[in-house]
Amino acid sequence: MKDNLEGRKLVNQMDVKIETRDVQVFYGDTHAIKDVSVDILDKTVTAFIGPSGCGKSTFLRCINRMNDTIPIARVEGTLMLDGEDIYHSGIDPVQLRAKVGMVFQKPNPFPKSIYDNVAYGPRIHGLAPTKADLDVIVEKSLRRAALWDEAKDRLQEPGTGLSGGQQQRLCIARAVATEPEVLLMDEPCSALDPIATAQVEELIDELRENFSVVIVTHSMQQAARVSQKTAFFHLGNLVEYGDTDTIFTNPVDPRTESYITGRIG
Amino acid sequence: MTLAPFVILLLAAIVGYAINVKSARTIRNGGARLHSLSSFHGLYSLLLVIVPVLTLVLVWIAVEGAVINRILMASLPVGVLEGLGSGQVQLIGAEIRSIAGGRVFGTPEDWKLEAAERLINYRETAAWLLVGVVAVLSLAIVVFARSRVSAAFRARQRVEHIVLGLMIACAVVAIFTTVGIVSALTFETVRFFQMVPITEFLFGTSWEPQIPIREDQIAAEGAFGAVPVFLGTIVIASVALFIAVPVGLMTAIYLNEFASKKLRSAVKPVLEILAGVPTVVYGFFAILTVAPAIRQFGQSLGLDVASNTALAAGGVMGIMLIPFISSFAEDALSAVPRSLRDGALALGATRAEMVLNVLFPAAIPGIVGGVLLAVSRAIGETMIVVMAAGLIAKMTINPLDSVTAVTVQIVTLLIGDTAFDNPKTLAAFALGMVLFLATLVINVFALRIVRKYREIYD
Amino acid sequence: MTDITPDKVTAGERKSTAEAVRQSLARRNRNQVILQGFGITAIVFAMSMLLILVGTLVSTGWQAFTQTHVEIEVFVDPEEIPLENLPRGGFRDVLSTSMGQYFPEVDMTDRAAAREVSSILSNGAQFKLRDMVVADPELIGQTISLKVPTSDPYDQLHKGLIKRDTPEVNRRVKDAEIERFDRLDELGLVSKPLNTGLITNADSRFPELAGLKGALIGSFWALLTCFVIAFPLGIGAAIYLEEFAPKNRISDFIEVNINNLAAVPSVVFGLLALAVFIGWFGMPRSAPLVGGMTLALMTLPTIIIATRAALKAVPPSIREAALGVGASPQQVVFQHVLPLAMPGILTGTIIGLAQALGETAPLLLIGMNAFITSAPSSPFDSATALPTQIFIWADSPERGFVSRTSAAILVLLGFLITMNAIAIYLRQRLHKTW
Repeated sequence: MKDNLEGRKLVNQMDVKIETRDVQVFYGDTHAIKDVSVDILDKTVTAFIGPSGCGKSTFLRCINRMNDTIPIARVEGTLMLDGEDIYHSGIDPVQLRAKVGMVFQKPNPFPKSIYDNVAYGPRIHGLAPTKADLDVIVEKSLRRAALWDEAKDRLQEPGTGLSGGQQQRLCIARAVATEPEVLLMDEPCSALDPIATAQVEELIDELRENFSVVIVTHSMQQAARVSQKTAFFHLGNLVEYGDTDTIFTNPVDPRTESYITGRIG
Repeated sequence: MTLAPFVILLLAAIVGYAINVKSARTIRNGGARLHSLSSFHGLYSLLLVIVPVLTLVLVWIAVEGAVINRILMASLPVGVLEGLGSGQVQLIGAEIRSIAGGRVFGTPEDWKLEAAERLINYRETAAWLLVGVVAVLSLAIVVFARSRVSAAFRARQRVEHIVLGLMIACAVVAIFTTVGIVSALTFETVRFFQMVPITEFLFGTSWEPQIPIREDQIAAEGAFGAVPVFLGTIVIASVALFIAVPVGLMTAIYLNEFASKKLRSAVKPVLEILAGVPTVVYGFFAILTVAPAIRQFGQSLGLDVASNTALAAGGVMGIMLIPFISSFAEDALSAVPRSLRDGALALGATRAEMVLNVLFPAAIPGIVGGVLLAVSRAIGETMIVVMAAGLIAKMTINPLDSVTAVTVQIVTLLIGDTAFDNPKTLAAFALGMVLFLATLVINVFALRIVRKYREIYD
Repeated sequence: MTDITPDKVTAGERKSTAEAVRQSLARRNRNQVILQGFGITAIVFAMSMLLILVGTLVSTGWQAFTQTHVEIEVFVDPEEIPLENLPRGGFRDVLSTSMGQYFPEVDMTDRAAAREVSSILSNGAQFKLRDMVVADPELIGQTISLKVPTSDPYDQLHKGLIKRDTPEVNRRVKDAEIERFDRLDELGLVSKPLNTGLITNADSRFPELAGLKGALIGSFWALLTCFVIAFPLGIGAAIYLEEFAPKNRISDFIEVNINNLAAVPSVVFGLLALAVFIGWFGMPRSAPLVGGMTLALMTLPTIIIATRAALKAVPPSIREAALGVGASPQQVVFQHVLPLAMPGILTGTIIGLAQALGETAPLLLIGMNAFITSAPSSPFDSATALPTQIFIWADSPERGFVSRTSAAILVLLGFLITMNAIAIYLRQRLHKTW
C-alpha cells in the first residue's frame, strides 16, 4: 500500500489515512473527475490546488460522501479511510460524516446560539450523556478554533451575529466538536478578510496535531504556507502530488510548472 | 333596456375615427409632415367619443332604476304611504313594478294602477332622453375632434394620455372596491349599533335574531349578543387547523425531503385537485358522508352526536386546507439555503435530524405565515359551514356539539326578506364588519412575517 | 489571541467517539423511519379523502344520469279536451283514464284509487301531453303513444335505491304499488333512457323533472359578465402597475390594496354587492348581471397578479430593442410586450374564471338562490347559477335530489376540469422559453 506513488519522500513517518484509487466522478454525462489516485497522510495538511473548475472541490466532497446529496452525481473507483472502503454498501454516510468533518467556503452557522451550533454534532450523535459533558466539549472545540475568549461570554447569542471571520471559526469549532479524524476544508478563507484569513491559517497549523486536514485552496501562497503535501488538479485529473516544497520549487510535470508560474489558471 | 344608445355610440365612434383618419391623410398627401400617424388622429376621435359617453351611459343605467323609483314614490297620492314601515313601502313599490310588467295579482287599488302607468311613462321618457343625450353628445365630440386635426396636432401624445388615464382608472378600481366594502359595511354597521348597543353585540352571550315581522307573530324578542357565534367560528376553525396543520406539514416535509420524483409527481396533482374543489362540493360531502359517518361512529361509542357537529364542518374544512398549508410549508422549506442543509449533513446528521433540527426551525416564519393565512381562510369560509354546521348559537367548545358560525349567520340572516332597516339585516353587516377586520388584521400580520423572513435569506 | 491548547486527541478518545456514534445509529435511524411514516400517513390520508369524495359523488350521482320512463297508450278524448278550449283541457283526467286501462281491477271512479294509480306518472306528464296536443291538434280523438318520466318514488324503485325487502311501513312505495309497477314493467313499457332532462329542463320541485338549464344559463351570463368586466380592467391595471406606475407611495398603496382584496372572504363581497349594487344602485336582485359584477370584483386581483407575472417574464432585451427602434413606451408595451405575455395572461384568466364558476356565497347573498322554474332569457332576469343550484338541491328533502345534486356536482367538476385542462394546455403550447 505504501508504494506506487510518484514523488513521494516522506517528510515525517505518517500513516496513510485516506487512500484513493482510480476515482471517477460523473455529473450526469459530464466526466468531472478522472482516474484520481492519491494517498492522504494522517496528522498532515494536504492542499488541493488548481485552476477554478478543475474538480478540487468535487473530489473533496467524495471523501465525506457529500456528493450523495446530488442526484445526478455518480462516483466510481475506490476510496478507503483507514483501510475501509467508504462507498461500501454497508457503510452509513451518517457514521462517516462523524469521522470526516467539513468546513465550507461561505461560513454557514445555523440560526441558533453559538453554544447550540457547536453542540449540535455531539448532541445528535449521542456523544455527551450529560450537560456537563456537553459543556466540556463545547469549550474544548471553541478553544481549538481559537474562538473561546471571544465567545465565552456570549454563548447564548446567535451564531449569525458574529463577524465573518468569527463565523468561520465557529464553523470550524462545530466541525471539530465530533472529534473527527479527518477535517476537510473547502476554500475556508475565500470569504474572509486578510486578518481573519491569517487567524484561520494559524488555526490550521494547530489542528494538524490532532487531525488529518485536507484543504482546497485557489491561493498558491496559502497552500505553500499551511500545507506539507500538495496535490495539483487540472481538468479533472490529478496531475502531480508531492511534498509542498518540491511542488513549488521543482515540479515534475510541465503543467504544474505552468500553473505555478502563472501561465495557466 | 334597449341597445340603441350603445349602437349610436359605436356608430359615432367609428364615424369619428374614419373622418379623422381621412382628414389626416388629406393633410399628409398635401405635402405637410404629420406629427403623428393618421391612425392616431382617428384613435383620438374614437377614444374621445367612447370614454366619456360610455361612462355616462353606464352610470345612467346603474342609477336609472333608483332615481325613477324615488320619483315614482314621491308621485303617489298623499297619505297613501302614511304609517307604513319601509318594508311595506318596498313591497308596494315591487307590486307597482310588477303591474307595469304585466303581471297583475288580484285586484289592486286604482292609485296603484295609475302609478304603474306613470312608471311605464317614466321609463319610456328616460330611454328616449338617454338616446337623445348620447346622440347629441357624440355628435358634438366628433365635430370637436375633427376640428383638432392638423399637421402639428400631437395626436399620439393625446391618445397616449387618454390610454394612460384609462389604465390608471383600472388600477383605481381596486381602491374603489376596498372603499366600497369599507363604506358599505361601516354605514350599515353604524345603523345597526343605533338599534342594538355595541356592548351587547360584542359581549352578549345570547344570539336569537328572530325579530317578528308582523305584530302578531309570536317569537322571541331579538337578542344580538354575538359571543356564541364568534365562539362557534373559533371552534370550527380550530378543528380544521387541528387536521390541516399536521397533515399539511408532514406532507410537505415528506414530499420535499424523502419522496422519490415519481411519488412527488403523483401526489402534487392530487393536492392541486383538492385545492380546486369548490367549497359547495365540500359542504355537500360533509352532509352526505362525513356527518353521518361521525354520527354513526359516535353512536357506536354510546355518545349522542348531532348531525351537524362542529367536528363534521371543521373536519371537512381541514381537508380543504391541507393543500393550502402544504404548499406554504413547501415554499418555506425550499427557501432555506442549501448551505444550511449541507452544514448539517456534513456533521453527520441523518436526513430526519437535518429536517427537524435545522430546516424546520429556519423555515418557521414562513410556515407560521402560511398557518395564519389558513386561519384567515378558515374563519371566512362560508359554504362548508352553512351546509354542515348548525343555526343555533351555543356557548360551547365541545366539537361534538352543534354550533353556528359568523358566516352562517350572515347568510341565513340575509336569505329571504332583506329590508334595510331591519336589525336582522343590519346584524349581518355588523358580523361582516367583524369578519372583514379580523381577516384584514391576520392577513397583514401574516404577510409581514413572510416578507421579513424572506429578507433574512435574500 | 489564541490559547495554545496543548491537548492532544488520544487514540482512546477517538475510539469512544466512533463507538458512541455507532450506538446512536440504531435509535436515530428508527426516528427517521418514524418521521417518514408520519409523512406517508399524511399523504395517504389526503389522497384517500379525495378518493372518498369522488367515489361518493360518482356512486350517488351516476344514477341521476338516467331517468325511468314509462310508455303508455293515451286516448285523447275529445270530450275532455275540446279543440276550442286549448291550451286548457282535462289532460290530467285523460292520463288518469289511460293509466286505468292497464289496471282493470282498480275502480277508477274512486278518486283516491285513481290518484294512486296515476301517481306512477310524473306530475309533468300532463304538461307534456298538453304541449303535444297544442302543437298538433289533429291528435284529438286519436290514441297516441306517450313516453313520460315516472314520478320520483318509482324512479328510485326501478333503480334499486328503494329496497324491496325493507318492511312496508318504512318504504315509500307500498306493496300494491310495487305490484302494479312490476306489471307495467312486464309489459315492456318501462325503460331507463339517458336523462337529458338534467341539462335541458329548468328547476322543478319534482326531482324527476328537475334540470340544470336555468342554472347553466345563469352561470353562463354571470361568467360572461365577469370576464367582460374583469379582463380589460385587470389587464389595464396590471400594465399600469407593472410598466408605467412611478415607484411612489400611491402605487404601493394600490398594490397593498390588491393583495388584500385577494384575501378578503367571498361572503364580504356578497355584502358589498347587496349593499351597493342592489341597495344603492337599485339593480335587480337574483340577476346574473349583478352576480357577474360581484364575481368580477373577486376575480380582478387574480387576473392582475397573473398579468403582472406574465409581463415580468418578458425579457428586458425585447423592450430595449423596441425602444431602440424609436417606439414610445406605450407602443413597446402594447405592440411587443403584451402579445408575448398573452399566453400567461390567458392561463391566469382561465384559472380565475374557473374559481369564479365555483363561487357560491356571494351569489347567495344577492339572491341567486331563488326557486325559479324557467330559464332566464337575459342577464337581467332572475336566475340561479350552477353552484347555487347545487346548494338548493342539497337542501331538498326528496331522495331523488340527492343523486341529482351529486350529478350536478359532477357536471360542475366536469366544467372545472375542462377549463383547467385548457389553461394547462395553453401554458404548454404557447409557452416560449427565452
